Amino acid sequence: MDHLIFEVGTALVLVSIAAILAGKFKFSIIPFLIVLGMIVGPHAPQIGIIDLRFIQSEDIISFLGRIGVLFLLFYLGLEFSIKKLIKSGRNIVVGGTIYILINFGLGLIYGFSMGYPLLEVLIMAGVISFSSSAIVAKVIVDLRRTGNTETELILGIIMFEDIFLAVYLSVVSGLILGDNTSVWGMLASSGIALGYMLLFFVIARKATPLLNKLLNISSDEIFIIVVFSALFFVSGFSETIHVAEAIGALLLGLVFSETEHSDRIEHLVVPFRDFFGALFFFSFGLSIDPFTLGGAVWLTLGAVLITILGNFIAGMIAGLKAGLSYKASTNIGLTIVSRGEFSIIMANLGIAGGLMPMLKPFSALYVLILAILGPIMTKESKTIYLWLDKIFKWSNKNQNQKSGM
Amino acid sequence: MNIRESELPGIGCKFELITRNNEKLVIVIHDDGRRELYHFDSENEESISSISFNDSEARKIAAIIGGMVYKPQALEKIEMAFEGLVIEWFKVEAGSAAINNTIVDLEIRNKYNVTVIAILKKNMKKFFNPGPDTIIEAGDKLVLSGERHELSQLIKSVLSYGGD
Repeated sequence: MDHLIFEVGTALVLVSIAAILAGKFKFSIIPFLIVLGMIVGPHAPQIGIIDLRFIQSEDIISFLGRIGVLFLLFYLGLEFSIKKLIKSGRNIVVGGTIYILINFGLGLIYGFSMGYPLLEVLIMAGVISFSSSAIVAKVIVDLRRTGNTETELILGIIMFEDIFLAVYLSVVSGLILGDNTSVWGMLASSGIALGYMLLFFVIARKATPLLNKLLNISSDEIFIIVVFSALFFVSGFSETIHVAEAIGALLLGLVFSETEHSDRIEHLVVPFRDFFGALFFFSFGLSIDPFTLGGAVWLTLGAVLITILGNFIAGMIAGLKAGLSYKASTNIGLTIVSRGEFSIIMANLGIAGGLMPMLKPFSALYVLILAILGPIMTKESKTIYLWLDKIFKWSNKNQNQKSGM
Repeated sequence: MNIRESELPGIGCKFELITRNNEKLVIVIHDDGRRELYHFDSENEESISSISFNDSEARKIAAIIGGMVYKPQALEKIEMAFEGLVIEWFKVEAGSAAINNTIVDLEIRNKYNVTVIAILKKNMKKFFNPGPDTIIEAGDKLVLSGERHELSQLIKSVLSYGGD
């Protein structure tokens, strides 16, 4: 007999228990779902009629997770706005650039110095570079720091990262999924990906009036069908020309973000993103054999260390350049250090492209550590500041600055 | 008073203002409708107190701070003097000149220097900040603000029965 629905139902019950637990401890659900996924799986026991091995349903769960990626990136595209970035001002552009240069650079250096080949290094650098927008926003709200002066800069840097992420994902997906056997092949593949992206930018600019008209559908029922069909069709089509389906979703989101219906689509997508996104994190955990984690421990700890260092330094420079105090600047680095959805999406892209399987335990362990440690460091930023202040004597400098002015 | 508005991507909108007494207030409007208020003193970088409201609480408090009394539907006419500025409620009379005309046609702002803050339709539907093309119907309750004499001028000639 076919117990497919029951198996998926069991998985969802476990996912919701993990989500409730995460809520109780005021943590992001991402690490909880990954751990849950790792605990169950082929090595887990079968208790009576409840089968925790998820053998029959693994395909369907990973398919639902794939849909989760589409929604996560579609939403990212909808939020994406060059106009906002231009409006945001110099501090954010400077801060974001500093952040990307330092952290992406450190990621590249780290990957190469560990002796990995180019494509693996590109994925690793991506995993290391991108903060989790979801966790950062949640932590700031939970800790009631929305009103702080540095919050603007933090969220601005995150926005800047997201834009870099969009471009980077497109190029890397072209490299990995396309022809990467020769230099010319690689150039051509990334060229196609960039060209594809430019095409969407042009559509976003030129076809907005047409799309406004086409999407002017009053019935919610028809509206959702039209939007989702576009999402799946465009994402699937992208795959056929070696651009990751997730990038297709992202680019379509970007086109829709220019229309006057973007708010409506956003509202519509959020519940789907949350639900399928949760399944994505779960299925990612499910695909990891916890016994492989041991092999990635040292590699991961090294990456965690350079992430904390790189984020802290970048936050410090960005904050001081924007005229913030040492204390506020400390907060920046300690807040943007959280990692989550984008690191996993990045690693997933590498796996889909058949790169080294080591990327999986590495990224899982990396995200687990920084999704939990990140918010803790954010919360304890004051203690960390006071502790660092004893070493670097920042408060004296602040005093001098003030009296000097 | 200087008000600085800035966006918090993914969260909402932030307004930062410094009062004459050099106290800083930060108001954050979340995209989900929540409002947060943070109070900073001139020295401190961290807020010394904060409070959060849901959407309807925020509106009530805004009305109290703005000098309007909350739930004035029960009353036909409330006036509040505010250094010459008056906020008044008036029910448009049947047969008045205003009926079935738009706010811009009636030149409420141009001719009388009066602003329509809100309209409460007969079916209790509320329109805050109605646009210039909003049509006024008999029985609408208008919330108006302006100078006292200009308000009474407007009410007499446009909103009452038998005006010109």
